[in-house]
Amino acid sequence: MINVKEPGLMTTVQDNGRNGYYSFGMPPSGAMDKYSFIVANLLVGNDENAAVLEATYLGPTLEFDCETTIAVTGGEIPPKLNGEPFGLWKPVHVEKGDVLSFNFVKSGTRVYIAVAGGIDVPIKMGSRSTYTLCGIGGFEGRALQKGDLLKTGEASNPPASTEITLSEELIPKYGNRHEIRVIMGLCSYRLTEESKKKFFDIEWTVTPDANRVGYRFKGEPLEFVEREQPFGAGSDPSNVTDLGYPIGSIQIPAGIEPIALLNDAVTGGGYATIATIISIDLFKMGQIKSNDKVKFIEVSLDEAIEARKELNGKLDKVKETIKTVSIGG
Amino acid sequence: MKYELHPLGDSAVIVHLGDKISEETNVLVRNISLLLEEQPLPGMIEFVPAFTSVTVFYNPLKVLQNGKRNGKRKPDSPYELICGEIESAIHKIGPENKSEARNVEIPVCYGGELGPDIELVAQHNNLTTDEVIEIHTEAEYLVYMIGFAPGFPYLGGMSEKIAAPRKESPRLKIPAGSVGIAGSQTGIYPIETPGGWQLIGQTPLKLFDLDQDPPTLLRAGDKIRFHPISTTEFEKLKGGQE
Repeated sequence: MINVKEPGLMTTVQDNGRNGYYSFGMPPSGAMDKYSFIVANLLVGNDENAAVLEATYLGPTLEFDCETTIAVTGGEIPPKLNGEPFGLWKPVHVEKGDVLSFNFVKSGTRVYIAVAGGIDVPIKMGSRSTYTLCGIGGFEGRALQKGDLLKTGEASNPPASTEITLSEELIPKYGNRHEIRVIMGLCSYRLTEESKKKFFDIEWTVTPDANRVGYRFKGEPLEFVEREQPFGAGSDPSNVTDLGYPIGSIQIPAGIEPIALLNDAVTGGGYATIATIISIDLFKMGQIKSNDKVKFIEVSLDEAIEARKELNGKLDKVKETIKTVSIGG
Repeated sequence: MKYELHPLGDSAVIVHLGDKISEETNVLVRNISLLLEEQPLPGMIEFVPAFTSVTVFYNPLKVLQNGKRNGKRKPDSPYELICGEIESAIHKIGPENKSEARNVEIPVCYGGELGPDIELVAQHNNLTTDEVIEIHTEAEYLVYMIGFAPGFPYLGGMSEKIAAPRKESPRLKIPAGSVGIAGSQTGIYPIETPGGWQLIGQTPLKLFDLDQDPPTLLRAGDKIRFHPISTTEFEKLKGGQE
């Protein structure tokens, strides 16, 4: 059992997400930064998809009522055990009564706290992920509150050795300026040529509206090609006939501020989607915060697939490191 | 069948059947959906039918593995491979309506506390509230798509005679089951959310229920009709569900 002494700003139970319910209007939710999420699980010997805690900006304070192994990955929100700082990206043994807490965020936005056996909450529609807007999944469908008691499951494998050190290249660094790769479409033709160019030239600023639902960006207004709107579409030139929005799609209502839809977003609507963030860079989005600068870079589908393979290669290296150290130790 | 395929990022493709909402286009959307449901494409995660499109979500690496096995065209591009699969699937579909529409009756308690804006809708159209109810209940509505929020049905078929603008400032909390009008659309709020629609009544039915599988009462392609019920019936029906 884990006793939530302080919940932090926004701490939720998340796993890989909820697939198969998009057409019912249910977004996938799930960990925003999947790389950090998977590595956290691997380090404590969990299945890659086990439920973890995702904490934003301000970490929680948690007391463990039994001996276990934990790992903290993701943004640099420095963790402490009984007040003593310890490193992210490695397994840590905790004793009964130990208290995990965090210092203020140094870089990045979200940390992932994996506990051997995973956080045990009921599976709702195939997932343990919390979708707070609907009150579904996770711990009672909401962010953690003071006094909550979390159960943990049975670990499927022994945790990685606490001696483990992941090589530098396997640990992401998070700055304040980011390049986010996108694939153009579906409706990029709705922007004027000049605005399309501007979209990629500008360094956008992330506004305070930046959460699991989506990120809003400030920059310069963009213009849409005027046209006679088709029957059924809204009257603004940024409107189209309502359609399904993929996660990562970018829309620019009325040409004012682009919005990138993320894991907890609405599943469809009537705004032209100009471009879609490639899946691998969605993980990066999870570590971007308000006031950070973002430049969008157009890439091809082939480049997106290469990026995906590259990330899978990194995860393979993490698995290898864990295996080697475990056998050697 | 005329359609275009476009990538939506690296793991989704949209089958676009045009821009204009029509029942004919919707039949095509439903035929494609039916086929994808019965014969899921290899590597497909799920699909989302909309007014004039179907979006297919896929796992590019799985599609790639499968394509390599089958020796398909441009075997190194998951997008090309999934497009090939979609094209051959659509090739099998004709324009006739393959799926049988389900008819769903939605009881609604109109006006009063449950439909506080019905007077406004009536005044806006120079009608009495009874006329608003009559017009709203005599039409048959088609569920074009479910989306935006969990279980939210996009309905087509409302009479322009009861059209009304959205509220200038949205309400912060609209109870689940509220039936509203915005522009020339009518809709039902499946869950408690903020919203700017004019509320004319409420149904005791649960449009979204986590304990049901599927969790939504309505599906794309359903035909629905509203019928008026009294406050007593409303309470009885609502109580019976708990």
